[in-house]
Amino acid sequence: MKRPLPFLTLIFCLGIFFAFRIKFNLTLLYFLFIIFFILSLFTLKKSFFDFFLFVLIFCLGIILSKNTQILPTNHISKIISYKDEPYIIKGSVASQPEFKNNLTRFIFNVKELENKAINQSTSGRLLVYLKGKKELAYGQVLILKGRLFRPFIFNRINNRYSTYLSCRGIDFILRVKNDLDILRLGKKEGSLIISFALNLKNKIKRLISYNLSFPALNILEAMLLGERKSIPSFINDLMIKTATVHILVVSGFHVGLVTFIIILFLKMLRFNKWFNICLSIPCLILYCLITGSSNPTLRATVMAVVFLFGYLLKREPDIYNSLSIACLFILIGNPRQLFDIGFQLSFASVISLVYLYPKIKAILHIDNLKIKFLKIILKSLLVSFSAWLGTSGLIAYYFKIFSPVAVLANLLVIPLASLIIFCGFSLIGINFVFPILSPLFAASLEFLVFLLIGINTFLLKLPYAYFRLG
Amino acid sequence: MFDFTYQERKVILFLIIVALFGSLINFLNKYSSKTEKNLSYLYQNLGKLNLNTVDEETLIDIPGIGKILANRIIEYRHKNFYFKSIEELKNIKGITRLRYEKIKDYFYLP
Repeated sequence: MKRPLPFLTLIFCLGIFFAFRIKFNLTLLYFLFIIFFILSLFTLKKSFFDFFLFVLIFCLGIILSKNTQILPTNHISKIISYKDEPYIIKGSVASQPEFKNNLTRFIFNVKELENKAINQSTSGRLLVYLKGKKELAYGQVLILKGRLFRPFIFNRINNRYSTYLSCRGIDFILRVKNDLDILRLGKKEGSLIISFALNLKNKIKRLISYNLSFPALNILEAMLLGERKSIPSFINDLMIKTATVHILVVSGFHVGLVTFIIILFLKMLRFNKWFNICLSIPCLILYCLITGSSNPTLRATVMAVVFLFGYLLKREPDIYNSLSIACLFILIGNPRQLFDIGFQLSFASVISLVYLYPKIKAILHIDNLKIKFLKIILKSLLVSFSAWLGTSGLIAYYFKIFSPVAVLANLLVIPLASLIIFCGFSLIGINFVFPILSPLFAASLEFLVFLLIGINTFLLKLPYAYFRLG
Repeated sequence: MFDFTYQERKVILFLIIVALFGSLINFLNKYSSKTEKNLSYLYQNLGKLNLNTVDEETLIDIPGIGKILANRIIEYRHKNFYFKSIEELKNIKGITRLRYEKIKDYFYLP
């Protein structure tokens, strides 16, 4: 087999899929795993080895998934009964607190739990809602008092809120209504690198909000920093209908542009190639942390890092292998991510671009065209069409929407989005060097965002632009 | 004279054109207050729906509005000779404070 890694990744994914669908005895699985491992050792030089390797990888997928389903005895979901009295919970803030609809929201790592009946150390994660805007930061240690709830059905777009949260290891929601029920302890926990990334993010956010106003501010925060929560619902809805909402989520497209900007910037500083690549890898990881390390960003960052390493080692990087490494990297960390919509869409779009685009291009003989301009336009249309072909099934299934306008919309919106990202980073850079010029960049950016919304509004008015399914 | 590479030249030109375009917009805003007003009005309302002309089908498409509520909104519009402010939505049966907060951003009034 020319490329074994994608095939092994597929087998691993199948293992995860079966682990969440069928009941397995974990002890028996470990026993089987050992037997197949020994058999594979004996067949190292025989063609049978491949078969045993597939079985081993399949079992590994099941075992890793089963392990994530087994919770420690002191896990919060094993201790509490949510009909009880309010709980007093000690722990630390595990995500950047977000403020929306007069509520402050963040993920909370639980350390200790107390109520009338229980007082013990515990583990697990909660999603916390506090009334009003609270000045909290990542890593801050808090004692909170409130009621715990199971996640409810989210909305008609996302299947179930509980599935979405369980993919992130969250089983309960804690609501704290009173200010007196929040006690801030002086201590700080959590990763120093994440703290640094989030501090940098807050600084950039302040800088953007100083220069821009609604709606450019909200769109730029989403496109550059992954702050999707602040996007007005009417813009989000508009872009879902035209299937261009992916530009508002930091993904491969954004990471690709950021890699280009970083390498270009380092090149301008006249460092040598080796140093440029060595420096751009930590910069990309930092950007991934700033944007919240969502699945699409993580996938794109791992792929970019693999590519850069390949370049460093003077080896031709293979897109299918790097895609497989990215997939394994995410799934070994958290096998539940296989069922995450963002994960599925992200990989489906890249696979369709990598696989379908060259095939369709060859069928239509586009490379033989003599008019250069027409060739570029047709190639861009094909890229958009391939991505749409690969993702439209998933979008129809999850979002109950089918958008024929997507191909045309992406053809117009993607170059504009690239321009907005370049201008956004230029605005941030100019603010450090020549702050006096920032209003000029801000004015251009506001106009470009206006154009982006305008194009989407116009396209949506076209006949048969989109259909609601079901 | 300048020892710029091809890529550096492109970056410089990009920055110049963005700054120039921004200054043109600023100039237009300063030149006529009407332009500034129109631009800021457009920036705020583009993509939103005109509450006084929106049809039933489009209303149903908004998350939080079903067929019954869409009918009530259109009925209210006919009865009261159009909406005078978005806040009037609160007067319609079925639009609670929470629902109003959720849907108000979808509309504008010219």
